[in-house]
Amino acid sequence: MTVLLAVPALLLIAVVFGWPMLRYAWLSFHADSVLTGLEPVANGGANWIRLAVDQRFWLDAGQTARFALISVGMELLLALAIALLLHQSWRGRGAVRALTLLPWALPTTMMALGWRWIFNTPYGPIEVLARTIGLDSLDLLSTPSITWLVTVFADVWKTTPFITLILLAGLQSIPDDLYSAFRLEGGTPLQALRRVTLPLLLPYILLSLLFRLAQAFGVFDLVQVLTGGGPAGSTESIALYAYLNGMRFLDFGYSATVMLAGFLLLTALILAGTLVLKTFGVLRPLDR
Amino acid sequence: MKLRRWLASGALALVMALGCLVGSASFRAEEVSILMPSSFTDASAELVKNFNREHRGRIHLNLIRGPLTTESISDLAISSLLLGDAPFDALLMDVTWLPKYAAAGWLEPLDPWFDQADQEQLVEGARLGNDYDGHLYRWPLVADVGLLYWRTDLMKEPPKTPDELVSVAGQLVQTNAVANGFVWQGRQYEGLSCDFLEVLQGFGGEWMDTTTNTMQLDTPEATGAAAWLNDLISAGVSPYAVTNYAESESLQAFKSGDAALMRNWPYAWAELQKDDSNVKGNVGISLMVAQPGERPGATLGSWGLSLMRQSSHQEAAVEAIRYLTNEASQRTRFLNNGYSPTQANLFSDPEMLKSSPVLPELQVALNHAIVRPPTPLYAQLSDVVQRELNGLFTETGSADEAMATSQQRSQTLLRAAGATP
Repeated sequence: MTVLLAVPALLLIAVVFGWPMLRYAWLSFHADSVLTGLEPVANGGANWIRLAVDQRFWLDAGQTARFALISVGMELLLALAIALLLHQSWRGRGAVRALTLLPWALPTTMMALGWRWIFNTPYGPIEVLARTIGLDSLDLLSTPSITWLVTVFADVWKTTPFITLILLAGLQSIPDDLYSAFRLEGGTPLQALRRVTLPLLLPYILLSLLFRLAQAFGVFDLVQVLTGGGPAGSTESIALYAYLNGMRFLDFGYSATVMLAGFLLLTALILAGTLVLKTFGVLRPLDR
Repeated sequence: MKLRRWLASGALALVMALGCLVGSASFRAEEVSILMPSSFTDASAELVKNFNREHRGRIHLNLIRGPLTTESISDLAISSLLLGDAPFDALLMDVTWLPKYAAAGWLEPLDPWFDQADQEQLVEGARLGNDYDGHLYRWPLVADVGLLYWRTDLMKEPPKTPDELVSVAGQLVQTNAVANGFVWQGRQYEGLSCDFLEVLQGFGGEWMDTTTNTMQLDTPEATGAAAWLNDLISAGVSPYAVTNYAESESLQAFKSGDAALMRNWPYAWAELQKDDSNVKGNVGISLMVAQPGERPGATLGSWGLSLMRQSSHQEAAVEAIRYLTNEASQRTRFLNNGYSPTQANLFSDPEMLKSSPVLPELQVALNHAIVRPPTPLYAQLSDVVQRELNGLFTETGSADEAMATSQQRSQTLLRAAGATP
């Protein structure tokens, strides 16, 4: 009976998630491009062989993982600090809570356009500021070793509020009695953070990590608008590469292969992460 | 009895209603829609009004105002064409899209409507880039080629060779006569490919041999062209910032008087003559430099109208295409918006010359027009070159390596797609 109740939800997942994935898997074993007249023609594993030796794909995969891990890591630390601050009661807290959500409420493309203008050489405000204090041109958007950090910065600015929101909800679910009891036993506030807050917050942290990692790994709009994948391809993500293959090059077979490979890599990344957390016993509080 | 009468009157009403519908449909004008980037719809508003007045009751033309940038409008058009029921009968196409769209089977050949006599009226450059596989698929709306803009107050005549350019611009920078020597498009995007093709031609090289489908990117000429561009930046003839410049950034630098030379499209001329321009009246146009004995090149960047295969109003759409590209429309667009004409006789037209004295130079440039490799795989090939060149400018590495990698990656692409043996 209980299984029956889950059927509508399972059907929905099958339609919106299962079917496209199967279709991608099928397409990845076909040539489907302008040269085949946009008709799928089975080509064995040619797309996968091409992917295996496609340096650009692996470069993009590394860049995407670097972007996702570093930006989500920074977001988590920042969000934790902000959430703890916003959880305390002080005058004007309500207004500040609303304000911190603002970056999250902005459409990504608008925000990316804004940053592109702010960081541009030679007329952007940052560049002008650097010049007035006597620095050389920063060229933030045209230096491959720096530009990816600009994308990380823009992402952290935009999505930290999202994690803050989840963690704040988590903090509010922890009963005050626990802290009173801990204080009574002689625990310091710092110990309370380690022994009470963090273990009880863990499910929320993991949830936001999962959400954000999946999202950051599929980053597209931010990069497309801010850098277009440049300079020298140093900010190109897997999703951007898949988009180029599909929409710009009209090579849908290979585009599906790239997208599917990205999905498999993300799954592997999350499994590996879970394994590491398990080995170090971080997940133990969840077992109760 | 009552029921029967009720039924009869109901049926009569129904027949009358249907009759009205059919009648109005036959009297209604044929609807023709054309998708264009917003700059072109804005420049054509008056023409559309006139067309609809002249064709009242027969054809009603409606321009769909698309996004401004080339890539966005391509994405929009491709999305709706892939879904199979595009809401437009014709599309204003960039020259590089044509092979791809034609190979995908989205375009209807225009051969039945435009003949040899029509072709011969066009200026030389406008005749290029309209065909694929022996069929005419596009009729040009504007003629566009890359130009070298130079400051008449800083030099007596424009540089003709790469060495001349370096010495003239380098000297102006060294003597602090101007902040930057030569600004162009070095960002990782299509503009970089256009700039590179011009320099490549000037060095006597070519991108791709289309008869044998082989890439020519690791030849000494191609490597020399790439090295020259890179040296412009390292020698300070061009600012490092050009590695992130598109057309608008270059124009901004040149217009504010911060550059001695600029590579850009014809639209920049009108911009530079506006009142807010610091170089108004001090600008000349010329061709991109070429090595002694080599023919200079100007990358063709024109827009033209194509008919969609799935359109059910083809005759009417072609009538609209003819109208929007006829001599009178070209004149209007040139005088009001500065879009270059496509018809040869307009380049010596007194009224046109009065509005823009650089038309003869523009015609010379159009006679030097060169096309980017006309293959359906062009977007991929261009992407490889953009990436490698931008990498050469912004990272350490030599032109030899960059061009060898471009050559090898391009060949791999052609092979993977089955386009080469």
